[in-house]
Amino acid sequence: MNQIIDSLKPQPVWRSIGLELHHDISQFLYAEAQLLDDWKFRDWLDILSKDILYTLKTTTNAQTRDRRKCIAPPSTWIYHDDKFVLERRVAKLETGMSWSEEPPSRTRHLITNIRVEATAQANEYQVFSNYLLYRSQKEKDVLTYVGKRVDLIRKDDSSSLGWKIAKRDITLDQATLISHNITVFF
Amino acid sequence: MNGKIEVCEIDALVDAQNGRISPTIYTDPQLYELELERVFGRCWLFLCHESQIPKSGDFFNTYMGEDPIIVTRQKDGSIKALLNQCRHRSMRVSYADCGNTRAFTCPYHGWSYGIDGSLKDIPLEGIAFPHGACKEQWGLQEVPRVASYKGLVFGCWADDTPELLDYMGDIAWYLDAMIDRREGGSEVIGGIHKWEINCNWKFAAEQFASDQYHAPYSHASAVQVLGGKPNDDASKALGTAQTARPVWETAESCVQYGQRGHGSGFFLTEKPDANFWVDGQVADYFRETYEETKERLGDTRALRLAGHNTMFPTLSWLNGMTTMRIWHPRGPDKTEVWAFCITDKAAPQHIKEAMELNACRAFGPAGFAEADDGENWIEIQKVLRGYKARKSKLIMEMGLGNEKYREDGIPGITNHVFSETAARGMYRHWANLLMHEKWEDVQRADEAYEQELLKKAAKKDEKELVK
Repeated sequence: MNQIIDSLKPQPVWRSIGLELHHDISQFLYAEAQLLDDWKFRDWLDILSKDILYTLKTTTNAQTRDRRKCIAPPSTWIYHDDKFVLERRVAKLETGMSWSEEPPSRTRHLITNIRVEATAQANEYQVFSNYLLYRSQKEKDVLTYVGKRVDLIRKDDSSSLGWKIAKRDITLDQATLISHNITVFF
Repeated sequence: MNGKIEVCEIDALVDAQNGRISPTIYTDPQLYELELERVFGRCWLFLCHESQIPKSGDFFNTYMGEDPIIVTRQKDGSIKALLNQCRHRSMRVSYADCGNTRAFTCPYHGWSYGIDGSLKDIPLEGIAFPHGACKEQWGLQEVPRVASYKGLVFGCWADDTPELLDYMGDIAWYLDAMIDRREGGSEVIGGIHKWEINCNWKFAAEQFASDQYHAPYSHASAVQVLGGKPNDDASKALGTAQTARPVWETAESCVQYGQRGHGSGFFLTEKPDANFWVDGQVADYFRETYEETKERLGDTRALRLAGHNTMFPTLSWLNGMTTMRIWHPRGPDKTEVWAFCITDKAAPQHIKEAMELNACRAFGPAGFAEADDGENWIEIQKVLRGYKARKSKLIMEMGLGNEKYREDGIPGITNHVFSETAARGMYRHWANLLMHEKWEDVQRADEAYEQELLKKAAKKDEKELVK
């Protein structure tokens, strides 16, 4: 049964954003990617705000005439994690018995198309980015994930990287996942 | 048999009597081809839930084996299943996951079919078919048998397969504990997780039929990070009402059922406590609805809020976890999982949402438990590329000879939950299906296996009495 959703593809809004700010936030996202790729998951948790919501929903195939009416097949959650659940995922990796990540996957996050938008909060920015996440597992299993992220990034002096991620809404551009599991962070 | 595989060869692959399995059943392309014909071509296969296509013109796209199938709700409220294949050049005529439509039109040449599958329109018909087009005979192929069981819609291609209820046998009793807990029955919540695993479909189907044994080890990390300490609410990861420890650590008795390919396993618990990976809010919902369910289904099934099940061949579910899935075959070494949340229609909205999150967190593709299951199956499939590995018969002896009928109302052939009675039964049924062209011969072979099994168990009991 199809569901009515607000808007399938919101229009991008153009507002000029300072070069330095864009540079700062880009550098932050690259540093974050480095933490994940270096398996420094505890350090990564430190740059997520306490109130973070980390989500990834399934995508679906909808007919154009339905999409025009903002109707789409129902989707469901792949990730719908608060900070506690994310920490439990990291703890699972640390047990040494999380067999899907034992030995751990080698990942490389390529982050592109970064676009920063101001929000009503002076210290918060909505940041759009695309990712190509390469995952090489065990001997020679290779999985590639491509999609986008919509983040809420908050200036935070308590963060070692100057910023914290307050929200991450991930899209993965596959309707049927070509992946035997999802055990990596986007 | 196309002269390719001999009946006796298939028989030898599954030595259920001695608990030995030839791994080629997971790798052989010829066997896979025969499975498509004799397993997926004639078993009752799950299509969708009635709640997914409530209105006339609603459709849901799925598969029976590798055949694409459109399930559609008709104007009179009935449900049809149609082969999603244009009769002209084999194109799919419907591409959305689901939706509502008045017609299915082939994108290739524009042949257009009604929601009942009848061919309505052929472009340039008068010119292209000067001698007339036989439209009334060129409709989409219809799955001849469609039947519902408590909201679950099934399809079957063969006419000599028993009626759905007969086919289900005792697994219906186990399924009721999942879909008939409360007034109003069940409902699908949210969308469908679809993902591909490079493994034979039988690994998944067998595990859900027969394998509680893997849980303590395969899911050790999930237990460690989501489990808590008994009587210590602060140690519980999923809320104070969460059951602290896995049911396999705390339950006093248990059961595995396995017959006619179907299988189920669960623990008999003292209280209606869902397993440890169900969050507190949902665990409390099950406690609150216990009396109502007990009234409907009796104590055993009202208490049953954990454990695994497969209705042969490819429909599996986990009680309490509110996850159900179908394992679509995609070649001998590939399976497409379609998993969804299903629960009581009468549950309040916030509980339904919590259940969806619950099912996703533990048994979605990124699930704390599910992720490790898929990993096991792909690793096995890789090892079976080896010649010697494929020649090495697998040990499937657990609980061999301890099969029995119970006297407490739990139906079917049963054993200890840590046995492989359901696996042996599943593979024996699978082999019988592949070997026999007529369903009555499949049934006869299944019965012969069961009689031998119970005779052996009875003999063993006698010996033990003598001792």
